[in-house]
Amino acid sequence: MSVTARSLGAVLAAVLGAEGLREDPAARAAAAVDGVTPRWVAAPASLEAAARVLALAHDEGLAVVPRGSGSAQELGRPPARVDLVLDTRRLDAVLEWNPDDLTASVQAGITGAALASHLAVARQWLPLDPPGWSGRTLGGVVATQASGPLRARYGAPRDALLGVRFVQADGVVTWGGAKVVKSVTGYDVPKLLAGSLGTLGLLAELTLRLQPVPETEATVLVVLRDLAAARDLVARIVDSSLQPSRVELLDRGALAACSLPPAAAGLAVSIATVAAAVRAQHATLVELARAVGGLVETMGPGFWRVHDRMLAHGAVRLRVTAAPAEVVPALAALAAALPGSPGRAIVGSATVGVVRAVVEGAEPAPVADGVERLREQFTGESGSVVIERGPRVLRERVDAWGPVAPGALALMRDVKSAFDPRGILNPGRFVGGL
Amino acid sequence: MALSAQVVSALAAIVGETGIVVSPEGRMTYECDMHTFYKGAPDVVVLPTSAEQVEAIVGVCRAHRVPIVPRGSGTGLIGGAMAPAGGVMVSMTRMNAILEIDLASRCATVQPGLINLWLTRAVAGRGWFFAPDPSSQMVSSIGGNVSTNAGGPHCLKYGITTNHVLGLEIVTGRGERLRLGGKAPDPPGYDLVGTAVGAEGTFGLVTAVTVRLLHAPEAVKTVLAAFRSVVEASQTVSAIIAAGMIPAALEMLDAAMIGAINAGTGAGYPADAGAVLLIELDGPRAEVEAQGVRAAALCREHGALSVSVARDEAERALLWKGRKEAAGAVGRLTAAYLLQDAVVPRSKLPDIMREMAAIGERQGLLIANVFHAGDGNLHPIICYDDRDPAQLARAKEANESLLRACIALGGSVTGEHGVGVDKAKNLPLQYGEADLNFMYRLRGVFDPRGLMNPGKLLPSHPACGEGFRPARPVLPEGAWV
Repeated sequence: MSVTARSLGAVLAAVLGAEGLREDPAARAAAAVDGVTPRWVAAPASLEAAARVLALAHDEGLAVVPRGSGSAQELGRPPARVDLVLDTRRLDAVLEWNPDDLTASVQAGITGAALASHLAVARQWLPLDPPGWSGRTLGGVVATQASGPLRARYGAPRDALLGVRFVQADGVVTWGGAKVVKSVTGYDVPKLLAGSLGTLGLLAELTLRLQPVPETEATVLVVLRDLAAARDLVARIVDSSLQPSRVELLDRGALAACSLPPAAAGLAVSIATVAAAVRAQHATLVELARAVGGLVETMGPGFWRVHDRMLAHGAVRLRVTAAPAEVVPALAALAAALPGSPGRAIVGSATVGVVRAVVEGAEPAPVADGVERLREQFTGESGSVVIERGPRVLRERVDAWGPVAPGALALMRDVKSAFDPRGILNPGRFVGGL
Repeated sequence: MALSAQVVSALAAIVGETGIVVSPEGRMTYECDMHTFYKGAPDVVVLPTSAEQVEAIVGVCRAHRVPIVPRGSGTGLIGGAMAPAGGVMVSMTRMNAILEIDLASRCATVQPGLINLWLTRAVAGRGWFFAPDPSSQMVSSIGGNVSTNAGGPHCLKYGITTNHVLGLEIVTGRGERLRLGGKAPDPPGYDLVGTAVGAEGTFGLVTAVTVRLLHAPEAVKTVLAAFRSVVEASQTVSAIIAAGMIPAALEMLDAAMIGAINAGTGAGYPADAGAVLLIELDGPRAEVEAQGVRAAALCREHGALSVSVARDEAERALLWKGRKEAAGAVGRLTAAYLLQDAVVPRSKLPDIMREMAAIGERQGLLIANVFHAGDGNLHPIICYDDRDPAQLARAKEANESLLRACIALGGSVTGEHGVGVDKAKNLPLQYGEADLNFMYRLRGVFDPRGLMNPGKLLPSHPACGEGFRPARPVLPEGAWV
């Protein structure tokens, strides 16, 4: 049975209630994705309502764009269609928290900051810090597999996600994984869903592995005369018994953006553990830094907030991934490929293999050319170049994701069509236009 | 022999005469893994030496619609590496090379037949190690570890196999050889590496693995504490975690296991102890020292009868001695036993241990325990007399009751051994119809012909196609126009 747009709105209103459905022009315009305005903005207050919305959308062939805080709405290709934006922010409850088990189950719309303040009373945290993490929803962070400096020690969202309740394209509520820290029962469905950009289902509830907050954290910046010294220092840290929680390389632009004195490069390293061990590890780090001619400066507790703000803003943000040993060359390659505007900053998680550049005020054409040049080097097993944020015009000039090997892409297409045969979930935005 | 001569000669042409086993005696060696309940000899065993050969083998099997069962060292505990439907078994033992070690990028690429411990041995001299350490690590293969997503005592801190797999080369049930992931993180698209780890051969045959290597910690501290009861020891586990420590390992033995171990060569555990807790901390020296003192104090606060802290490597080895001998010591308790590896939230350990005692009493069977207490991963050993069929039936009943009790406490059917044939029937305890249906469809994408390790990991499909449709939400009827 098909219904008219008017009656569809009535059904949605009945499912969502007055507070849960916005049809007014202002709300629709605010939810536009790459300039495509949805007909409805749905903000369900319960898992059941979200499931009903998807069941309806599926039957009516409506294209649904899941949305958390909206910080990643410029990630990926421009959408093929947008009928309904499904805003998860009213699904923001902590459903279960077991401090003794270091696990929590939360609704996907909760923000990083809200969860952090919830867990702080027991000195626990979810150590995920992708750019702008405090305001982002955890559903969005997991759906985009977004990571930050803390990945050096704690891993990516995929490593923290123990279980997931999601709504499939046809409205069927489905569970994968477990609520315990160790489970190998059946396929690892949480791994498939993490990073799937909402194209296989709406992430509704997440069960997460938490960590104890370390007793103390100390951060230093090693100021380096050139990138060769940076590469030398990173290699020495990797081959030492240091256990840093963050190891971020900053280029000249990033140092400036963090209001630090000018230098060719800086390596920001955090050590987080009991106070005595922080002192001992700090001493080791100072020795390594001196061996490459670096100057060690102590950073205050606000350093990572400034670093985060630098990455969370900026009109264009690119992400290059490479083998960890290639982070310094990747940083140099980004610097060579991108327009050198004053608002450019490049940082790299030196032991992880993720490098990001933020660019302000550049024309799309030279950025697009830079992306294509970078892809000659970072492609396939050598890495990737992804546009994490940028105007639509940039992502029309150049594919936001870059190439995926044909065999793997064919498999991904079949995964997508097995679970969303009508293509209603985020159509067009993921790799290969999935 | 069920296979046609044509298939056998096609396979022989791929792997050569020395790479194929067709004789009944030869195939008998491959009829089961370490779970000897389940037996099924393959029609033929092939031992390829390259990924190209594996790809060709899958091609032949696909063309003739013959089932394929992969096998590593055969040390699995779930009946995963046996051939219930016959077909072709692909043994990876000849593909055991280390292809590359890249310490600067903290990883190595290996063939699937490589023995787990051999990788650590290859890098230990330079101060590195491969973290997943199933107790079979001296004999089990990395391909098998990947396929079962194996764990081990030290995964409390370091995570299980999947947290250490960066890339895979796999020949899928679609017949293609794909390279997924690699040294660079976050390849665009779905995380097919993460999805394929733990698939138990049902997606295809793994022909190479890129794994993460870790730098060895600066120091290790081992503490052993004896308690009057498992409940006190379990409360200590929670207290250690609550104090903000993540030990590398937190292992527990109950009274039955302590008795069995003491009766052997002997680690000299206190004879009156109801539980022994082994705590291992590793990391920067100052951290380990501080946490060691703290952990020992928490043991005493929770009523420990004795607390020993290893002062050197020799003393550490002594404290681990009993734990390492546990598997052998089981032989002193019983000739036959059922073993499983269900999980409970670690805060529920006291509850499940009480429940387990009650189940043992009800069935009149001894249940001994040696387990990974830190992550709530149990290993109950249900002892029975295999000359008495009634006892076996009661042991199975006790096993089922235990699984149900673990799930009721919010746990999982299996923490590290995997599903195989052994636990396929138990999946509905943990997953509903929609959840299982999702997995059936996922399997179908990787293995459209249903040839890859059939009968493993999922319960047999209740009804193919129609009739197996999970409930969709009901829409408000009145609103329809």
